[in-house]
Amino acid sequence: MQELTWGWPIIIYLFLAGMGAGAYTVSASVLLRGGGGFGRKHFQLARYGALLAPIPIIIGTAFLILELGTFMYATEASMYFRWLNLFTTFEVLSPMSWGAWILGLGIIASVVYAYTFLKKEAAPGDEMSSLRRALAWVGVPLGIAIGVYTGVLLGAMPSRPFWNTSILPFLFLVSSLSTGAAGITILKAVFSSGDVEEKNAAMQTAKSAGERDLSDYLLNVSDLLLLGLEVLGIFLLILFAYMMYGDRVDAIAVIMPGGSLFSLFWWGVIVLGVLVPSVIELKYTVPTLLHGRAFIMPRNLELSLATFILLGGLMLRYVVVVAGQITGPVGI
Amino acid sequence: MASDSSKKTLSRRQFLKVGAAAATTAATLPATVASATTKQSIHYAMVIDTRRCIGCHACSVACKTEFEVPLGESRSWVEYVEKGIFPNVRRSFLPRLCNHCDEPDCVDVCPTGATYKIASNGIVDITKDICIGCGYCIQACPYGARFLNPETGTADKCNFCLHRVSEGLVPSCVNTCQGRARIFGDINDPDSEISRVLATNAVSVLRPEMGTKPNVFYIDADHTDERDAERYNTYVRIDTHRRQKRRV
Ligand code: SF4
Ligand code: SF4
Repeated sequence: MQELTWGWPIIIYLFLAGMGAGAYTVSASVLLRGGGGFGRKHFQLARYGALLAPIPIIIGTAFLILELGTFMYATEASMYFRWLNLFTTFEVLSPMSWGAWILGLGIIASVVYAYTFLKKEAAPGDEMSSLRRALAWVGVPLGIAIGVYTGVLLGAMPSRPFWNTSILPFLFLVSSLSTGAAGITILKAVFSSGDVEEKNAAMQTAKSAGERDLSDYLLNVSDLLLLGLEVLGIFLLILFAYMMYGDRVDAIAVIMPGGSLFSLFWWGVIVLGVLVPSVIELKYTVPTLLHGRAFIMPRNLELSLATFILLGGLMLRYVVVVAGQITGPVGI
Repeated sequence: MASDSSKKTLSRRQFLKVGAAAATTAATLPATVASATTKQSIHYAMVIDTRRCIGCHACSVACKTEFEVPLGESRSWVEYVEKGIFPNVRRSFLPRLCNHCDEPDCVDVCPTGATYKIASNGIVDITKDICIGCGYCIQACPYGARFLNPETGTADKCNFCLHRVSEGLVPSCVNTCQGRARIFGDINDPDSEISRVLATNAVSVLRPEMGTKPNVFYIDADHTDERDAERYNTYVRIDTHRRQKRRV
């Protein structure tokens, strides 16, 4: 086994930054295009996403700084701030330089965006509306950019065949959106706990589909779609590894039978993180989708689902970050 | 009216001045860029004649001393390649160092510009007080030439002994090599020893498929890897003589 230059801090950083960015994008999208005019129908959903987004992005970025050599081995106080050098230049060929600037913007924008939702009485059409709308427009591309960047960061190097594929940014983007949505689900389930019974009763008695609160349904259907895309991404990653030459085949072997990351990848990422949530979500969304029935999912199930998706996302980052470093070019 | 027209001429003159400046920049810029890349005045490179190497590690030791490289790390090292089953066997040595690539991935990925290729001589170096120690270049180098120096917290690697070379000396490893297995010089100078050796020998570079265009050339290098053992149905053993027991 080769040494890991990048360990847990980077894994956590990729996961959290992706999740925060995903939450920002999901929140901004439902706000802008959620139906019922700007920010009407799914305002609460957007609010949870907005309040969540900056926290993982900021914590994740802090983890990134923790693993910098100048931070770990600092001999003088100024070295703790050496990372600011990222912002004294822009290196157009370096994905990390792009990422630093995009993350910087993402943190600022998501903090201000969260601020527009901060007041308890925040509502569609209040005095923050125009700022909120502007930041939502910024948030969709910015969140996507962060998700994509986390994949490009790893994918940029021919020296790391496991990472050096064009599908990795897509995979990380999809995972960041689905973990973002899962984060929103958890917040929503925890903070709207009191009125679940009430809400479910309202759902049952609602005369037409139009009167139902479809936020949960929307979240779950989006999740399902994202998990499906994730399966597609992983399928293509593996398929194309076998269509490439030597070092790519060698690299993918670590997640295939006999490889050191086989169990974690297939049981952790695929079964626990993707298949189990997908099957449960299918069971609950299909009746609404096909027969227009009310969408009701028990809160505990909703919570465990989201937790599985989050764990799956974290394990995906772990497997990818480690696999890329224990494999390398074939031959000399 | 008068003042108005003078203002006009003034502004036109200013405009012309700016325009002229822009034109000259436009004219000179491509020229400087071109001279930095294609017409690089000195192009340092190294040839390692593995037939002359006896695997004594004098180069590794000289390098260690020259740079006080921390314990467990190496800027320069010698791998042993053993293969075959008695009586058909071969043992050879593969000295390793940074290749000072023409297209270095380490430079491309560096987010701060700390790792750069010196335009005037092609050496790839690191500016210690700009580097943040992110490790990106360590990941990107296909040769495992880089490491994170725990004493400085920054990336580190061979720099062809820039401090010696700029004084007209050869790198410390070249200086110490008892078999004269290492030849260092400017391949832009057709009369240099290295140019003559390169012109008259079959040479190879390591992992050319990585596209980095290495500037360390080998004569008679054994490119055998542990994975080849199965393919050739023989015995292969690689000793890296580094902390990293497996070749990276
Ligand atoms: S050998 Fe590695 S560290 Fe040296 S220039 Fe090439 S890519 Fe960079
Ligand atoms: S470790 Fe230093 S030299 Fe290497 S990529 Fe990061 S900032 Fe650049």
